[in-house]
Amino acid sequence: MVTALVTATSSLVSRHAPRLSRHLVTSTAVAASALTPEPSPPRRARQVDHSKTLIRTAIILNRSPIITRAPTSFERAFFNYQERIRRAFHNPFPYDFYFKPGSILESKFTLEERERERRIFYRGFGADSKYAPKSKLTPEELEKFGTEDGTVMSRKHASDRKGDAKSLDRKGQRNLYLLLSQGEGSEATWRFPEGDLGEEEFLHEAAKRNMYAECGTNVDTWIVSPRPIGHYDVPSSTPPAGQKRGPKTVVFFLKAHIMSGQVHPTNATDFAWLTKEEIGERLQTDKQYWDGVKDMLSDF
Amino acid sequence: MSATRFRFPQSTRIWRHRTAAAGRRLPRDERGLPIPHVDVVVRDAYISRLGEHYHNTLQDDLMYMTYQHEFGPRGPARIIRPRFDLNDPYAKNRHNPPVGGNRVGRKIAPPTTADNVVRLERIQIHTMIKDAIHSRQNLLGAIILLRQLSGQTERGGGVYGQEGVQIVKARKSVAGWTRPGLPLGAKVDIKGPEMWEFLGTLTEFVLPRLRDFNGFLLPNPSANMKTPAAVSGVYSFGLPPAAMGLFPQVEVNLDAYPKSYGMHIHFVTNAEGFGAQNKVRALLSGYGFPFARKDISSRVVIPEVSLAKHNRSVPLFPDTR
Repeated sequence: MVTALVTATSSLVSRHAPRLSRHLVTSTAVAASALTPEPSPPRRARQVDHSKTLIRTAIILNRSPIITRAPTSFERAFFNYQERIRRAFHNPFPYDFYFKPGSILESKFTLEERERERRIFYRGFGADSKYAPKSKLTPEELEKFGTEDGTVMSRKHASDRKGDAKSLDRKGQRNLYLLLSQGEGSEATWRFPEGDLGEEEFLHEAAKRNMYAECGTNVDTWIVSPRPIGHYDVPSSTPPAGQKRGPKTVVFFLKAHIMSGQVHPTNATDFAWLTKEEIGERLQTDKQYWDGVKDMLSDF
Repeated sequence: MSATRFRFPQSTRIWRHRTAAAGRRLPRDERGLPIPHVDVVVRDAYISRLGEHYHNTLQDDLMYMTYQHEFGPRGPARIIRPRFDLNDPYAKNRHNPPVGGNRVGRKIAPPTTADNVVRLERIQIHTMIKDAIHSRQNLLGAIILLRQLSGQTERGGGVYGQEGVQIVKARKSVAGWTRPGLPLGAKVDIKGPEMWEFLGTLTEFVLPRLRDFNGFLLPNPSANMKTPAAVSGVYSFGLPPAAMGLFPQVEVNLDAYPKSYGMHIHFVTNAEGFGAQNKVRALLSGYGFPFARKDISSRVVIPEVSLAKHNRSVPLFPDTR
């Protein structure tokens, strides 16, 4: 029964195979044929060769930065210096075009501008000088017309303080990637969501199917491109009895973005949204895997 | 007070000495402005949000989306038409015409590398004022508008090479209408952080509030991809006069402008060759530009500010297998 199924799908593969799996045996074919002790393929069926390559797909699910990064102290000093040059060389501002003379808006702008000049230069210069336009109203008088009430939100989310690696709001300035784990505690092995490539299936279709199978359907994602962004050659394990080599396995990685929702892992024991450095720490035990994937991740 | 006997600390004396040196009269340029004794180079004064968005997210994504795999290096380009040999004394300083006609669209895109991922280089805003034919004073409102939209003035902030708003003059003579040299419009080129500011304003304040606007129409899937427009890396569109009041920087004193002006906006990118226009659309879509197909144009396409802006990109690069 299984042999017949393999034969039928194999003949289909030979006619309409996706480009990548045209010369390669897909994992299901290998798995299915492994169940048959004496494969006797008919004439047009593909010969199953264990020395050929198995394809798997993995998805690099990315949460892009959601806030602009904070400048470094060097950048802050540099920007301050550039701002000073710009202010020193700026062309005259046409107050009379933008504001009605004596209007509240003009006073508000003049006072704000004075604060900015003081911050960039020092008191007594620029907007404080005798040539600068004078505000008709004092800051106290302006307050009668109402102030803009708004609080600046913290750049650190509550999940950053709690160290909650599952939150999608953590580390808003950084690129985060989804990692799933198998096993508990120190025995846990961390991996990107992964699965096998079916017959008659494109890489990006398989990646999407595997992602939903691993992460649940409560994620709104977008696969950036049908093309893989990288691959990882899985080191071959002990070959099956009577064979020199086992099948070579290659994992192709596709990039995707998460738009909304949250991961509810079905098979994995745990998940985490991590930056590149944190992924490096969790993959310390598997140096080979880390070397294979690290260049696909954004440094920032 | 014995101010004359007061002895300044060492640091203060150095400060006084330097002030005296800097206070010397500087040579003046032709406009009577002092020429600093050092070359003043002005760079960005802040981290721009959309610039970071490009470097963090869009650049990678566009690379993956537009990547075309090639086996080995390309062969030499086919010579379409013999061109002048510039070492030939006859050809030297003569006009060397570029390849034109239907050959323009056959120019293939350069190989995909990390260096030539499509990126925005500048934005040009251009407006033509018909009333300027009668009186060039009618240009003033448009000039102020462009200055306000771009935040650029000539050499403003000491940025050399910043040209500010420029007057566009007629080049041809049309009987009863224009003659060469007649000022007819204004334009401004925006680069750097101001470019990102303008782009953000456009996608977050103007386009969502524009009436009866469902998104920029995408061409028919069967449209010719080899026209000069389709292989150009410049995406252009027009905004009606009604859109002027939707820019927040104009909205505050809209009544100060003599009338409303429409404008043409050109997004100039580094994309070139076959498929360039699609690459530019993919880029702009990553900034939240709404694009709509012709058949769904009746459906309202609402730009939104979401977790990741590139969500709304339509499949511009369908798999060609």
